[in-house]
Amino acid sequence: MLWLKNVHLVDPGQGISDKASLLIKDGKVAKVCRGEKQLTEEEVLATLGVSELKEVSQVDGEGKFLFPGLVDVHVHFREPGQEDKEDINSGSRAAVRGGFTSVLAMANTQPVIDTRALVEFVRLQGERAGLARVYPVGAVTKGFQGRELTEMVDLQKGGAVAFSDDGLGIQSAETMRLALEYAKLTGCPLISHCEDNSLAGQGVMRKGEASARLGLKGIPASAESVMVARDALLAGETGGKVHIAHVSTKESVWIIRTAKKLGINISAEVNPHHLLLTDEDVQLTDTSYKVNPPLPNREDQEALLEGLLDGTLDMLATDHAPHTWEEKMRPFAEAPFGINGLEAALAALWQELVLKGKMKPEKLIELWSLNPAKRFALQGGSLKAGSPADMVLFDPKWREKITAESLESKAQNTPFLEKELQGFPIMVWVEGKLVMENRKIVGKK
Amino acid sequence: MRWRHKDLLDLDNLSAQEIELVLQSALSMKEVLFRPIKKLPTLRGKSIALMFYENSTRTRTSFETAAKILGADVTNFSVAQSSVNKGESLLDTAKTLQAMNIDLVIIRHACSGASEFLAKQLKAGVINGGDGQHAHPTQALLDFFTMKERWGEFKGKKVLIVGDILHSRVAHSNALGLKKLGAEVVLIGPPTLLPPEMSYLGVKTSYDLDSELPGADAVMALRLQLERQQSGLFPSLREYNRLYGLTREKIAKTGKDTIILHPGPLNRGVEISSDLADSVQSVIEEQVTNGVAVRMALIYLLIGGTSNVMA
Repeated sequence: MLWLKNVHLVDPGQGISDKASLLIKDGKVAKVCRGEKQLTEEEVLATLGVSELKEVSQVDGEGKFLFPGLVDVHVHFREPGQEDKEDINSGSRAAVRGGFTSVLAMANTQPVIDTRALVEFVRLQGERAGLARVYPVGAVTKGFQGRELTEMVDLQKGGAVAFSDDGLGIQSAETMRLALEYAKLTGCPLISHCEDNSLAGQGVMRKGEASARLGLKGIPASAESVMVARDALLAGETGGKVHIAHVSTKESVWIIRTAKKLGINISAEVNPHHLLLTDEDVQLTDTSYKVNPPLPNREDQEALLEGLLDGTLDMLATDHAPHTWEEKMRPFAEAPFGINGLEAALAALWQELVLKGKMKPEKLIELWSLNPAKRFALQGGSLKAGSPADMVLFDPKWREKITAESLESKAQNTPFLEKELQGFPIMVWVEGKLVMENRKIVGKK
Repeated sequence: MRWRHKDLLDLDNLSAQEIELVLQSALSMKEVLFRPIKKLPTLRGKSIALMFYENSTRTRTSFETAAKILGADVTNFSVAQSSVNKGESLLDTAKTLQAMNIDLVIIRHACSGASEFLAKQLKAGVINGGDGQHAHPTQALLDFFTMKERWGEFKGKKVLIVGDILHSRVAHSNALGLKKLGAEVVLIGPPTLLPPEMSYLGVKTSYDLDSELPGADAVMALRLQLERQQSGLFPSLREYNRLYGLTREKIAKTGKDTIILHPGPLNRGVEISSDLADSVQSVIEEQVTNGVAVRMALIYLLIGGTSNVMA
């Protein structure tokens, strides 16, 4: 049982951004007391149903924010098969250290998560880790071959909350159309990794002046946008539910905006690195900037932020993609794509967007907790009375340098390595259980 | 002026004066090439490793000849072709070279940035012998040397670079350097091989060779990789040759005593006609000779001590 006092609660789900006190009982929010008014001891004891105050943990959150736990709909935990990069335990540790209480683990493991047994394995490994809620994403097609559909209904029964061949674009439009139709049986969104292979070719960064200067093969913006357009049209035609992963071009933003106006059931996410870095930041000998979709240009970046602020784009997601140091210590063209995101993403956005006045804290939490929870029908996303107590106590003044040693993730492929950032979670609870305190994992089973 | 670089990776971070210093040093090196005994003791006891991850007879031989004339010991590392994910990683190769105390490494690699990657790992100097589509600074420097021998200076000279600009590290390094030296550069090719982002070089681009020919002091043809046709980048050798192939008739339109350059090897009858390649205007063979002199100069500047005056 917990009594949280004097926090600044940011909970767009209840329309609250105000001083507040909260009482937590049996893993759930028992009471939210808004405003300057303090709860009396009698109220606390009565609500929690205890006789003495010493049975209640008390946390004074003066000067701190309390957020509903962040929900990240796009992480790669690499288990089974590539545990040298990450596993579900290390990934879960990284998640809660970064303020994420729920994550969607993508299916591009080895083997691909395309059967119920594998879905259940991922879910159980998440439960064994006992930190963040780990929701499996099932594959759309068997073995990511882009042809035969998986047993989506059975996968859902095993715990899958969405379907995706993320890591690869589904090249056949007909396969995508059928998948959108069939997924209606589950009600789950199909997460589309939009990448036309013929346009992306052997590219390793966004096509433009920067790629020409570095002599790196370019990926045109159209490699993403043409497939966003295709999938928007297919979702419209089928009435299916599509979610566009890692939107990175202004053209994709225009298409999604139009699709929404037409009433198409489409949602979309943006990765923090696409908001914070551009192709001009890419250096030949720092492969932590190599990511797919590639870092956009300045105009795209402005369109992405605008899209998030006007509601065209629904949520933030890290696309946490850990890789080993050896894999990344290669010439740029030979290194794998991916940025390790969970532990620096919130601080990086806080520092660059919130502190610079480009985004309000309320919007940030709407995008990273409320909206993803709603779209994927997950628990959490708000701290209304009766909701699970997935919570983040956030210190806006906490400064910390991102170092290889401090990361809970097995990997260190982040462009923020060795950089100091401001604004970090200092306490995290999942279902009322404290899992992170003072930047350290606690309470692991 | 003193040479202050450990490596030669690109022309980006060389000033016009530094480029001139290389060219000036190469002039005295060229004289050595025509001595009856082509051997200097200058770099005796220095070790140089050649690592060519891409096929190249002429560039490798040029470097090897240059190093040997200067008296250095040369080791050819046999490295597998396109060894992506195969064999030793470039990082481990770098560690091996470091452990052998090599003085200078010359690398050619299909990945842009491979030479910079190596340079960051090594105490030894690194010369970029061509990296991906990125840079080929020694080729550009030998081209400048060849032009300077003819012209004396670059100001007011118009240089056309014709062909597959997109994939050509030779074109990129030439355009960068010539701009610094004060020449006017025009990049010419079909739109599929001359995409808009080439604007980063800050020089004129054109799809029309004929309209750019008048007044050109030098025309450089680039080697066309014939397999680009299969990728759809140009429809046929026939049409390519008609639009961008250099011939005596086309070159006559310059109205000048234009010199013709080509980094080699030639596709005769594709990007350049045989009679033009073998004509008096062609400096293609001189480029090869000058390549050795320029590479001698660079090796000397990088590991021969601080003086730019030859013994």
